Amino acid sequence: MSNFDIGLASFAVLMVAIFLRMPIGLAMFSVGFGGLYLINGDATFALARLKSETYSTFSSYSLSIIPMFLLMGQFATHGGMSQALFKAAQSWLGHLRGGVAMAAIGACAGFGAICGSSLATAATMGQVALPEMKRYGYSGGFSSATLAAGGTLGILIPPSVILVIYAILAEQNIAKLFLAALIPGILAAVGYMITVSIYVRLHPEAAGVRPRASTRQRLGALVPVLPVLVVFLVVVGGIYLGLFTPTEGAAVGAAATGLIAFFNGGLRGKVWLDSFYATAKSTAMIFFIVLGAAFYNGFLALTQVPQELAAWVVARAFNPWMVLALILSLYLVFGCLMDSLSMILLTIPIFFPIVSVLDFGMGPEDFAIWFGIIVLIVVEVGLITPPVGLNLFVINSMDRETPIARTYGAVMYFVGSDVLRVALLVLFPGISLVLVRLLY
Amino acid sequence: MAQHELRSVISHNRAQGILTAFFVKLARFSAILGGFVLSALILLIVVSVAGRGLNTLMHELIAAGFLIGLARSLLEAGVGPVTGDFELVEAGVAFAIFAFLPLAQITGAHARVDVLSSRLPPAFNRTLDLAWDLLFAVVLVVIAWRLWGGMLGKMRYNETTMLLQFPVWWAYAVSLIGACVAAIVAAYVAMVRIVEIAAGRSILPSDQGAPG
Repeated sequence: MSNFDIGLASFAVLMVAIFLRMPIGLAMFSVGFGGLYLINGDATFALARLKSETYSTFSSYSLSIIPMFLLMGQFATHGGMSQALFKAAQSWLGHLRGGVAMAAIGACAGFGAICGSSLATAATMGQVALPEMKRYGYSGGFSSATLAAGGTLGILIPPSVILVIYAILAEQNIAKLFLAALIPGILAAVGYMITVSIYVRLHPEAAGVRPRASTRQRLGALVPVLPVLVVFLVVVGGIYLGLFTPTEGAAVGAAATGLIAFFNGGLRGKVWLDSFYATAKSTAMIFFIVLGAAFYNGFLALTQVPQELAAWVVARAFNPWMVLALILSLYLVFGCLMDSLSMILLTIPIFFPIVSVLDFGMGPEDFAIWFGIIVLIVVEVGLITPPVGLNLFVINSMDRETPIARTYGAVMYFVGSDVLRVALLVLFPGISLVLVRLLY
Repeated sequence: MAQHELRSVISHNRAQGILTAFFVKLARFSAILGGFVLSALILLIVVSVAGRGLNTLMHELIAAGFLIGLARSLLEAGVGPVTGDFELVEAGVAFAIFAFLPLAQITGAHARVDVLSSRLPPAFNRTLDLAWDLLFAVVLVVIAWRLWGGMLGKMRYNETTMLLQFPVWWAYAVSLIGACVAAIVAAYVAMVRIVEIAAGRSILPSDQGAPG
């Protein structure tokens, strides 16, 4: 077997292992290790690499942003900010047709601005918004679908853990990627609200009515939201303006969110420890996948598979847009089965060299940013597509009375909104790039 | 079931319960330690950012000829970014992540794809879980062993960090503690899976972590 064949075969082995429930990070690590063993004839090289590879992966300054953002998300979850956001959004939007659902979307967007994870956003907002939606006569399936979709805003609206990983894999500037994600993120929130309004017109029985709030109530509800706004502006604004590095921004944000949560009385005793536990679990899981991916991708690069595939695609002179469409559909399919982070770590090292040699009529950096945003959205669609959209399960586990099949029906409207938005972003790269060009 | 048999099952279960409780506590303690180090790093960065901001401001005040005395004395007192914050963050975050691993191990928080296995018989899934947890234990032992090797290398060449000049092997050494706890906990988890198959029931609590 040539090294190239070993590289190709490794991918098949990896897929089989992953579908046999092997933890994804462990699978990438083991297959990478086995591959290095095969192409070198013994394990000396792989073992030598391990002397420093684990430490250097875990001690990366740019990756240290991830545990900080995760801790910040935990503080936000326990700090009463989700209630404040939902109350404010509800007092402004609640009286509209489907208004409570729109408020849930709006609150998810607000929460996404201080939380970099989709599942955490869905879970946190679900606890706050599901009971209220039920109270105003919203159907269970529609409520769950709304919150599952709203949860994806956690990762679309910066800060975003996935974008950090993408930035490192594609060697791009994290600040620019955060900036590029802003308009598509807002677009997503608006798109979901429009979806809500279409849905309740088609299914009038799915939503009840809530009385209009007075102006005084509306203004009053805005006050508790101010800290969230300040944290977002300081963190994301500071990163955008180059006042501090993304890692410094994450630290400042985590400290500020922790402080707010503390003064809101959300961080007493055990809750503090629970924040640590949740951060520990997510961080360890993510970094083990990052380690596995680093090991596997290091092996793959030695087999020349990504380079040869890229050369092959260029030699065959495929239509770039066809290749892009193919890759995006692959993401959609795999997104139904796998979590977004694993998918990014598994595929970007293979796909990125291929697509970056194709001509989409823009500079390499513009392309990398644009491609990153589109991939981010496409993999997030997987979180809400049946049968294994993780967000759907998170929400479903909170509302046992609603069969998940009901949610499936309603969530397809939101998937439709996602697909439409991806098409828009693909056709008009300017939507993602305009802010980057303006500020840099 | 005869009386003595019953008693032996109960005491066996109790021993198992104590062991599990011990390893869960160990993993949690490790996670808390990592959490405190992470929090300390966050504070360190905040102080450094604030110091840098103040430093810039004072220089601007002097340039503008405003409050020069105050600005000078603050600068002389050493207001500025924390020296070597970068290096401390790198060393500290490595420790924190190693310290986080045991909890992910014992709670089964690692991301996996469940789509196929949900249609397979539970006994088959248990066997798979055993296989993967055994492999996980081996991998974590190898990682800890190689980290030890890496540490010896850093000691031999007396490598120090750029600014603070502390030996790099110190950072390896603290990480190694976390790596060893992770390896031990992983070995325990693998052992429990064997018992679970033999007993045909679940012992460890399991929950999925939150990916992305």
